[in-house]
Amino acid sequence: MSAGALGTRRMGWRQRLGRQPVLAIGATVLIAFVLAALLAPYIAPYDPIVQNADIRLQGPSWAHPFGTDNFGRDVLSRVIWGARIDLQIAILGVVFPFIIGTLVGTVAGFFGGVVDALFMRLIDVILAFPFLVLVLSIIAILGPGLGSFYIAMALVGWVSYARLIRAQVLVLKNSDYAVAAVSLGFSRWRIMFRHLLPNAIAGSVVFSMSDAVLVLLNGAAISYLGLGVQPPIAEWGIMVAEGQPFITTAWWITLFPGLSIVLLAFGFSLFGDALGDALGVKE
Amino acid sequence: MSAPALSVTDLSVTLALPAGEAHTLLDKVSLDLGKGEVLGLVGESGSGKSLFCRTLVRLLPSPNMRIAGGRIMLGERDLAKASEAEMLSVRGGRIGMIFQNPTSHLDPVMSIGDQLVEGIRYHQGLDARAARKAAIEILRQVGFPKPERQFDAFPHEFSGGMRQRAMIGVALSCNPEILIADEPTTALDVTIQAQILQLLMDIRRERGLSIILITHDLGIVAQTCDRIAVMREGRLVEEGEKRDLLRSPTHPYTKALIGSHPSMPSPSQDEGAAVPAPDPVAAGATPLLEVDDVNVRFAGTGSLFGGSSGAVHAVAGVSLKIMPGETVGIVGESGSGKSTLARAILGLTPIASGNVSFDGTSLRDDPAAFLKRLRHETAMVFQDPYNALNPRLPIGEMLAEVLKVQGRTPHAEIPARVGELLDLVDLGREFAGRRPRSMSGGQCQRAGIARALAVEPRLIIADESTAALDVTIQAQILDLFRVLKRKMNLTLLFIAHDLAIVRNLCDRVVVMHRGRIVEQGASARLFEHPAEAYTQALIRAIPDIDPDKPLLPRAAREVA
Repeated sequence: MSAGALGTRRMGWRQRLGRQPVLAIGATVLIAFVLAALLAPYIAPYDPIVQNADIRLQGPSWAHPFGTDNFGRDVLSRVIWGARIDLQIAILGVVFPFIIGTLVGTVAGFFGGVVDALFMRLIDVILAFPFLVLVLSIIAILGPGLGSFYIAMALVGWVSYARLIRAQVLVLKNSDYAVAAVSLGFSRWRIMFRHLLPNAIAGSVVFSMSDAVLVLLNGAAISYLGLGVQPPIAEWGIMVAEGQPFITTAWWITLFPGLSIVLLAFGFSLFGDALGDALGVKE
Repeated sequence: MSAPALSVTDLSVTLALPAGEAHTLLDKVSLDLGKGEVLGLVGESGSGKSLFCRTLVRLLPSPNMRIAGGRIMLGERDLAKASEAEMLSVRGGRIGMIFQNPTSHLDPVMSIGDQLVEGIRYHQGLDARAARKAAIEILRQVGFPKPERQFDAFPHEFSGGMRQRAMIGVALSCNPEILIADEPTTALDVTIQAQILQLLMDIRRERGLSIILITHDLGIVAQTCDRIAVMREGRLVEEGEKRDLLRSPTHPYTKALIGSHPSMPSPSQDEGAAVPAPDPVAAGATPLLEVDDVNVRFAGTGSLFGGSSGAVHAVAGVSLKIMPGETVGIVGESGSGKSTLARAILGLTPIASGNVSFDGTSLRDDPAAFLKRLRHETAMVFQDPYNALNPRLPIGEMLAEVLKVQGRTPHAEIPARVGELLDLVDLGREFAGRRPRSMSGGQCQRAGIARALAVEPRLIIADESTAALDVTIQAQILDLFRVLKRKMNLTLLFIAHDLAIVRNLCDRVVVMHRGRIVEQGASARLFEHPAEAYTQALIRAIPDIDPDKPLLPRAAREVA
């Protein structure tokens, strides 16, 4: 067994990627979307917002590979610009819950007792509501927009992370190295955040990848319902919503942003799987 | 000898590495197992002894491993070439296996009896009623006192020793000719170990079974086996009749293995014996550590015990004095409360009543000052070297952190001090950048000791610190403790279930049983003339490396 591990260590990253096709594909998809988002002004052939009534509802062609929508906007350009917003949704919609959940989970797991009980009951309450209903009501209260969406995700999404981290910390705080840290006079905060958290976090990192998929879909759904990104900004969820009336005549308006959502979700999901294998997380 | 039950010739196993080359794990091992013979297979972890036995039944632990050559003749059949379907009837049916950890090898949701019946029906083709009868008979044979009733009990209802008996029963239920026992007693207490070994010997006699006994403990081999084979790095280094091999080993590794057995008097112990141990009752000396009538209780989990039983009394009224510079061993079987006592002394487990004082500062009078002194003047070394180190921290960083928190070493000097600490425990300085995962158990344990030394402690409590290590590594770590003790004038509290280790290392021994101190005294005296029956039984159950000092089943029965 150890011989195998040594063999792996000697390989360069190129070989390692070659041996892990899942990681390679996932990373490639994600990197492609990030590049598209960053380089949108340079690679998008047309302006995503300017309307041109002369070329409404044209099918895919060499000039417009993904066709044009009902306002005569180039769908390819809108998909590329949309990557900026959707990546932002997937990332920000995960980062805040991740941070809050990790902190709460660590503290609850480590201190136990009343602190733990309070947080756990709060989590039970939040989980008692259907996820989307809760998110929608928070957005309804705060007013539509992406900012409200992030706040809603942060308020609701942290519970999964808190539960994951707490379970890990509960196990790890009884490990010998945690006991050793106590016996060496380390402070609680040092033990929690330097010794327990780094060892507890792998599962959450992996989960955050599949969570990004859900957040992305939710973000698209919220925009589709008109509570997230507002027109005319290019975002895949809105594009799907806007294309819906024309689904029978101009399928390309809906298909390409829809495919992008699926592909990005696929990338996150593969990357998460590979990350889990690499970090040794068992789900 | 008549025709061997199993004959292995030039067996090689290779592991295919990702890069394409092959790594040889077993290198042309040839070995015969006679009918009714007990063969001891000795070696350290990684020597290939377990792999060898798994290869015999073609249960290789990884699909990347394969048999590269050789023959495994079971009667007329070559198992190395047998089909998977043929192997099904061989596994269990002709070659049975028992393992170190019965808990993970018994099905937790199936009653013990059903697990036996399954094997009997499959391999012997009996009907349900006859199988049940046969299973009860086997349970009786492996020492279940009430087999009819215990037939329906589940593994978790039994102690470790009874579970191991159950697993032997499951192996017997298939009525094999050969039994492979892989470290069957390593996880058990010494008195239970004696019982299980006795059971294996009884079964061999009654059934004419051939047994391959894998172990790292030469004492066990000396007590039970007819022949010994020593393995190292995938090779068979020496093989021979028990007495010949123990008396006149030819291979240097076998010599080292015999020399490091804890029941052999160690050379440094002789030195130590020449210097009289500090007299614990020397007039005027004040103890470094004083434990006064300490009690520790754990709240009983009501649901588990049907709400009836209350708290578990883990440590009951223990009093103890440890003088500066003294080495004290605490021995006892699992559940005797010895580890709980250690944690209570270090303030890691709250005590229900009693008092602990460290060098004049007492827990009762000033808990804050007491804890503060403990954290700066005592340190602990743990049992499982891997679990005791933060897997994400390189060794150097780990040591630096301790130095930083302890605050005695100026910042600029920390790297130099880390180097010194690594030197002290004989780890190369390059280990500063290594993580525990890339280190062996012995190296991790050295790093754990370095961490304890970083505190510059006056008292070190070592909780089963050698229990998870191979014999030769164990001897090295014990030597390290001896050297450090001398160099740094350490006071050492050494907790172990292995009496032989304590005997060689400690000036004074404390025997614990069910949370109480049964007996204590100077180590030489206590081992020569144990006063209490429990201590006597405990000492007699140690398997001695001298085959003519028989393992006393009597001792085992006395305790049970």
